[in-house]
Amino acid sequence: MTHDATPTPSPTPGRTSWLPPLVSLLLPGGGQALVGRYVRGAAILLAIVVMAALIIWLQGYALLAPLLGIWLWNSWDSYQLVRGRQPRLGVPILLGALIIYGLGTVATQVQPTRLVTGWSSMQPYLRALTKPELFTYPTEDQIGLVPIQVPCIEPLPEPARKPTEQPRLTVSVPCASVGDVVTIQGEGFFPEFEGELWWINPIGDPQRVLENGQQATFVTDAEGRFTAQVKVPLAVPVSEQPGPGETQTHLIRAEQHKPYGSPQPTETLSLVVDKIFETVALAFLATVLGVIFAVPVSFLAARNLMYGNPVTRMIYFVVRTILNIVRSIETLMWAIIFAVWVGLGPFGGMLALWLHTVAALGKLYSEAIEAIDPGPIEAVRATGASGPQVVVYAVIPQVLPTFASFTLFRWDINVRMSTVIGLVSDAGLGFLVIQWIRLNQFRAMATAIIAIMLVVSIIDYTSSKLRERILEGAPAARQVSPTRRLVTRAALVAAFALVFVWSWRLAEVRLSELVRGAPAGLRMARDFAIPNLIERPTEERSVSRPLPVPCGAAEVPSTSGTGAGVSLSLECGNVGDPLIITGHDLPPNQDVSVRWLLPDGAFLRVQSNCCRTDETGTVTVETRVHPLMELSEGMTEPGQVTIVWKETVGGPRFSEASRRVLELSIVTLLMALLATTLGSLFAIPLSFFAARNIMGKTVPGRVIFYGFRLFFNLFRSIEPMILVLICAAWVGAGPFAGVLALALNNIPNLGKLFSESIEDIDSGPVEAITATGANRLQTLVYAVVPQLVPRFLAFILYQWDINIRMSTVIGFVGGGGIGQQFRLWVGLNQYDKAGMAVWAIVIMVWSMDYLSARARERLI
Amino acid sequence: MLRIEHLTKVFPDGTVALKDVSFEVKDGEFLAIIGLSGSGKSTLLRCINRLIDPTEGRIVWDDKDITAASGRELREIRRNIGMIFQQFNLVKRSTVMTNVLSGRLGYAHPVWSLVHRFSPEDYELARAALERVGIADKADNRADQLSGGQQQRVGIARALMQEPKIMLADEPVASLDPVLAHSILQYLETLNREDGITVLCSLHFLDLVHRYATRVIGLKDGELVFEGLPSELTADRFKEVYGEEAEMVTVGGTMSA
Ligand SMILES: Nc1ncnc2c1ncn2[C@@H]1O[C@H](COP(=O)(O)OP(=O)(O)OP(=O)(O)O)[C@@H](O)[C@H]1O
Ligand SMILES: [Mg+2]
Repeated sequence: MTHDATPTPSPTPGRTSWLPPLVSLLLPGGGQALVGRYVRGAAILLAIVVMAALIIWLQGYALLAPLLGIWLWNSWDSYQLVRGRQPRLGVPILLGALIIYGLGTVATQVQPTRLVTGWSSMQPYLRALTKPELFTYPTEDQIGLVPIQVPCIEPLPEPARKPTEQPRLTVSVPCASVGDVVTIQGEGFFPEFEGELWWINPIGDPQRVLENGQQATFVTDAEGRFTAQVKVPLAVPVSEQPGPGETQTHLIRAEQHKPYGSPQPTETLSLVVDKIFETVALAFLATVLGVIFAVPVSFLAARNLMYGNPVTRMIYFVVRTILNIVRSIETLMWAIIFAVWVGLGPFGGMLALWLHTVAALGKLYSEAIEAIDPGPIEAVRATGASGPQVVVYAVIPQVLPTFASFTLFRWDINVRMSTVIGLVSDAGLGFLVIQWIRLNQFRAMATAIIAIMLVVSIIDYTSSKLRERILEGAPAARQVSPTRRLVTRAALVAAFALVFVWSWRLAEVRLSELVRGAPAGLRMARDFAIPNLIERPTEERSVSRPLPVPCGAAEVPSTSGTGAGVSLSLECGNVGDPLIITGHDLPPNQDVSVRWLLPDGAFLRVQSNCCRTDETGTVTVETRVHPLMELSEGMTEPGQVTIVWKETVGGPRFSEASRRVLELSIVTLLMALLATTLGSLFAIPLSFFAARNIMGKTVPGRVIFYGFRLFFNLFRSIEPMILVLICAAWVGAGPFAGVLALALNNIPNLGKLFSESIEDIDSGPVEAITATGANRLQTLVYAVVPQLVPRFLAFILYQWDINIRMSTVIGFVGGGGIGQQFRLWVGLNQYDKAGMAVWAIVIMVWSMDYLSARARERLI
Repeated sequence: MLRIEHLTKVFPDGTVALKDVSFEVKDGEFLAIIGLSGSGKSTLLRCINRLIDPTEGRIVWDDKDITAASGRELREIRRNIGMIFQQFNLVKRSTVMTNVLSGRLGYAHPVWSLVHRFSPEDYELARAALERVGIADKADNRADQLSGGQQQRVGIARALMQEPKIMLADEPVASLDPVLAHSILQYLETLNREDGITVLCSLHFLDLVHRYATRVIGLKDGELVFEGLPSELTADRFKEVYGEEAEMVTVGGTMSA
């Protein structure tokens, strides 16, 4: 009976059967090794060590309990092995999953309570989404202004601004302090109409007067009068506050906008429409240029063409590797990189899209070439055709439909990407979204988000319809006269050229930028190539010398003469005096930083990008005495001039940055894992409601079916990057927001795929099982589930691959993980560290792709 | 005894698949059903175990009205009627063993069976069934790793698990080559002769009808146009059922008993 038979090692005699379990108890996997199961033993040991390390690192000590469980199981396992049994792996896999998910929740700071507590801060976003700014009426305005001085001083000077006469606004007091409540009265406004209150600071920046966190409003009576309370806000940054004995004139503004006439598109709407064009233009240009470059590249990356001789094989490997590296770095990350090279703007965004397109299409095209049937090629060659003729008559006809379908698919992705590329660059709709979020203009933001959803759904729909048509094959050729065909073709080409030129202009392509920015780009490339993996720990050293300003304000302590030191050309001085700072006997050829140590304890750099000592350890800086060095009343300690440098101490070790990258890589992986799991868990039950065959033909069934389908499709069109923004407002920026956003994006994505696979279940087995007299539940388990499991798994793995990539970039907009750190490092020009993050991402994406490919082979 | 009375089936789209069909099948018969494609053979067989609900008429089996049964009663009736399909209808990704065991679901514990638990007797039965159809060594293979003939044998084994009194076979050999066709029908014949299981089997080839059936009915456009012994089914009567252009087709005489 082969059913039960399993390959078993021969049982060891009973006398030593206690030994392996004991060894396993002391050293996990040891007992397994004793009975000759080395791989099993090593795997157990490795798993336990890795998990223990992660638990300790993340301080999730509660998870040591399941780890202990695995440890005990390991002993039991070796006991079973000695007895010649093949123990099952269910328990340890379950415990292992518990640990991994536990670690995931710790590392990504999952705090479900924040879903509730943060709900209110997401309200403005949601409310705005229901009322985007589309059209407004032109308005007739009434604006009243009244000055108020903050704070009160004696005597109070005349205010710097006059109040308006018509309408008239008066305030109960001429001056007040921050936090006071003042009463304002207005007259001569539109009667029985509402208006808003604004506060204008001395620089002229208006801000909303708030009342319980909302814009404060008023309503006038029948005579156009009103009274309102205004709390004096902190309208001036601390550094700009008036000094003692000074005051500043602020304005209170009351405004009414009365609509008349016919609605006009808002400024928001026209901006959004402009950006829609820009978005589509970027995607179009990137796709067209991408195809132009990808086609030749794909031939170089096609195994069947290049494997012939060693030289071409070499080229094949190089091209393949480059394509893989480029592809594993997300478009948004490329956008950040290109922004360094060519500056913020549509051009950089387009380059990022283009590069990723070349890599992705290059790979897809080359696979299509590899799948070519050699038969027709032989046949054409046998007719005596030349190489190019073979390509035209045997290769192109075979690859063209696949190429076209892949290109459309990519166009679809490019439009999606270009809607969000503006989140990191000044290009397309995404830029408006992030801009308006920063300005708290939620309704404008909502308009842009809705535009994104629209663009994405329209492109998604049309390109999937077109793809279907391409794959079905062209409809039978109609009889068309040659001239007519020529005319249509010419028209198509002309339209294409027109769109291309138009896109080129909208994308602000400036090839000169490529050259001009080349030095910055090259510097970055160099730093990227040399990751700072190892560093020697350093300690900060400094020497300093006091500089009393003005002279006589403080005693100058005497200085001891030997060793490193600072000498100044002045003993003491006044603000603005020329000063020569000399550092001597410092380490030679050392980067040092020369600073003012201000009397209040803060410090300032004397010069930016300064300085380096020469061979003798001397450094000289010419400057003038900084105004902040002046001692104000009550201060006794004089300011100092300090030279600071870093001295290496001890041997080399892994750099701070490399450890940070490792940590964040783990967090990023766990984010993807958690998001995929959560997304799948919710999508599986929901998908049944969106499956036509499950919901049946009854009216409620239909309604539920269409409801869920609509929900899935609508929700799918919200880009994950946009969801991150909203989730960051909801639960606070960080990995949890990222997990939440990805999961929210996965639910409709997977839900749609799942429901489609439920719909094309083979009904044969279902009937057969029903015919045996099984009940509905049994039929589900025996005929439906086995069909669904492999398909669902395939989709989950696919989503996992996407999530891995997404989770590397959601940090750009507050989703946590490695992307956040990458952006920070790029912002600080620390390209060597940013480069390390990029390499970590490449490795991560590759290894996960490899793992999921293996999983796919085994599971499906 | 199985009695079909005035059976009519009209599909929701208006297709009349069966028109007032009546006949009887005695216990232990091997009834062949012949007819052109679209004549209603599958519809008839599916009505018998209620995979399709007939529009009018009754099906009575040993005084039980199958057409009136529902719920538990219906499942018990189905349990006693095995069915094998032209496309085998195996769950391709499950193992042969699981497929065969699923034939036992009507008997199995309603909860335990959901987590793939079956009694040891069920396992015994499954092995015996696989042995009987000659593929015991394939028990742990995935169903889609088997050849067509082997898959159909798994289908038969699954039906055998039901310990059925009636076996419905809807063109069980139409997807198979002639040699396999004979071997599958021989299994059915053995079941019919040795276990006394009543067999209703739709077939397309006259020589197979002659070789295996004890009685024949013919359908044309959903109507019963022939009922009699295989020997009465002459070339002329065959043409009546299959239309004037029909030729007598045989499955090459490669097999003999
Ligand atoms: N679910 C259905 N809905 C509508 N019409 C159907 C349905 N199933 C079958 N029919 C129609 O009923 C008629 C009888 O079909 P049936 O499948 O019983 O024929 P058959 O004799 O088994 O044919 P074949 O030899 O091709 O299997 C056909 O006209 C068919 O198109
Ligand atoms: Mg049929």
